[in-house]
Amino acid sequence: MVDAPITRPRTRRDGQFDRLRDRETSMQGKAKRRGRFLGKFLSNRLALVGFVIFTIICLMSLFAPLIAQHNPMSPNLRAIAQPPSVEHWFGTDKTGRDIFARVLYGGRVSILVGLGSALLSALIGVIIGVYSGYVGGWLDWIAMRVSEIFMSFPQIILVLLLVAILGQSLLNLIVIFTLTGWGGIYRMARARMLSIREEEYVQALRSFGLGPARIAYKHMLPNALGPIMVNITLSTAAFILQEAGLSFLGLGVPLSIPTWGNILNAAQDLRVLEQNWWIWLPVGATISLFVLSVNFIGDGLRDATDPSQQG
Amino acid sequence: MLTYIARRLLTLIPMVIVISFLIYLGLELTPGDAVSHMIPPDAYGSMDPDRLQELRESLGLGKPFAVRYWIWISGVVQGDFGYSLAGGVPIADIFLDRLPATLELSFAALLISTILGSILGTISALTRGSATDQGLTVVGMLGVSIPEFFFGLVAILVFAINLDWLPVGGRTLPGYDSFWDRLPNLVMPALVLSIMMTAGVMRYARSSMLDALSRDFIRTARSKGMPEWRVNILHGFRVALTPVIVLIGFRLPVLIGGSVIIEQVFQWPGIGKEFVSAVRSQDYPLVMMVALFSVLAVLIASLIVDLLTAIIDPRVRLGE
Repeated sequence: MVDAPITRPRTRRDGQFDRLRDRETSMQGKAKRRGRFLGKFLSNRLALVGFVIFTIICLMSLFAPLIAQHNPMSPNLRAIAQPPSVEHWFGTDKTGRDIFARVLYGGRVSILVGLGSALLSALIGVIIGVYSGYVGGWLDWIAMRVSEIFMSFPQIILVLLLVAILGQSLLNLIVIFTLTGWGGIYRMARARMLSIREEEYVQALRSFGLGPARIAYKHMLPNALGPIMVNITLSTAAFILQEAGLSFLGLGVPLSIPTWGNILNAAQDLRVLEQNWWIWLPVGATISLFVLSVNFIGDGLRDATDPSQQG
Repeated sequence: MLTYIARRLLTLIPMVIVISFLIYLGLELTPGDAVSHMIPPDAYGSMDPDRLQELRESLGLGKPFAVRYWIWISGVVQGDFGYSLAGGVPIADIFLDRLPATLELSFAALLISTILGSILGTISALTRGSATDQGLTVVGMLGVSIPEFFFGLVAILVFAINLDWLPVGGRTLPGYDSFWDRLPNLVMPALVLSIMMTAGVMRYARSSMLDALSRDFIRTARSKGMPEWRVNILHGFRVALTPVIVLIGFRLPVLIGGSVIIEQVFQWPGIGKEFVSAVRSQDYPLVMMVALFSVLAVLIASLIVDLLTAIIDPRVRLGE
């Protein structure tokens, strides 16, 4: 922007304004805001603990081949259902597979399903929600009705119905979770857009002649990112719980692939439940710990991004 | 009020029609049709194709999709829910047989979580910021983070196997039919099913109570010299409870979802267990009917919640 030339002599005020403007243009304001966000997030002890646990479990799953000394898939008939030992940290299961290795490798699939479905459904929900929330019209009407239909099913019934129709596979499960999960984040993004649609900066952009897509995605979306991030974390937690539940029933990821839920599936047998606690207890604890850490992170994010949730 | 009810019903009915159509379409997309389910797979190949075609015609499978949907939905409306593929039992009979168990479990869990959740939430709000409040918040977090069925497994191991206080699972023993006889069987599944909901209600009750306590009438009551416990109970709790009760209607999907897995863990002979085994054995007609009825239950519950809020709060029914 070019200022009108100053015709009067410069005063001390002018110098102050210039400095202020320089500071703003050098993006100091933005850096400071991010600093406040980080500071608030880090000062939340639970969120920090959650983040540390989350990172540890993710890294251990990621580097599973380096950490685990056994193949998670290969049975060992000489070591069936052995309790934890130096050789097998979490013991072995009914076919002699090392449970520690299975938990690590299972984490890869479970986290992939949870995080992948959450990100995909967020992507779909945000793309539709941000645009239709700003523009409105028939697109908004249709998207709203479709999401209403999806949301009037109890989630697990819809998931199982789709499993019955589409069949069981890892990819299908991610698709099904995405299909059942986009509605919530769509509605949230849409509501957020509706509430900032009439703000002055949006009106200003409109009067400059910017297209709706550009205003919606480039200028309004960043102001809705806080709640979207919170929603992604919380739905990651929900999807991991659902995958575990479905696989526990034997209806999630096919049993040949180790996932946290599939390992727990063995505990449906009352004898395993009673005599071989190491087959199911450590996995259950790992799922709980992981979901807990994700929930702590979500809460921390909410407190750090939402100014109305003080204290 | 009447126009409000009419308006709500007008949006509800098309919704139900669309959903039932989608569910029927889903059945259409599944592999095989009624004939291929009737005939054992090894005999299917050796059957005369003309005979199969004839059979399809006689069952009405040759008619266009929309006509078949119409026949199906008008049957459902008249109470003809079709037959389960496993054993050819009428689905209506299965519902009559299994529904009481599911309702019993759900209502028990609803009762426990409502009472426990609102009490704990109120305590948490009244002691805001204290160790009790923080402890309860963390406990609530644990409640929503630990998978329900894992809770169930641990509970079975501790209370049924090791301590032998409660039965491992099931609902009734033959010959013992009264409610008191099966109460021990109900305790564990109901408690485990209520955990996640209790945590949700607690969180909601806490913020609702905090909101109520910051209102003017609370300050007025205090300034009149009313004892603190009376202020909290008579004014705060009562006001805070209304939205909590509304919340319970929205909790229905959570309840149905939880009961599907919990019934499996405790071998509770309800609709949820039946649904899981129907999905496993690809008993599509049964899967479809359970899905349809769960949607109906959710829609009707949300209708009731809306009507209740409209009665309580006139702004809802007048505005829009």
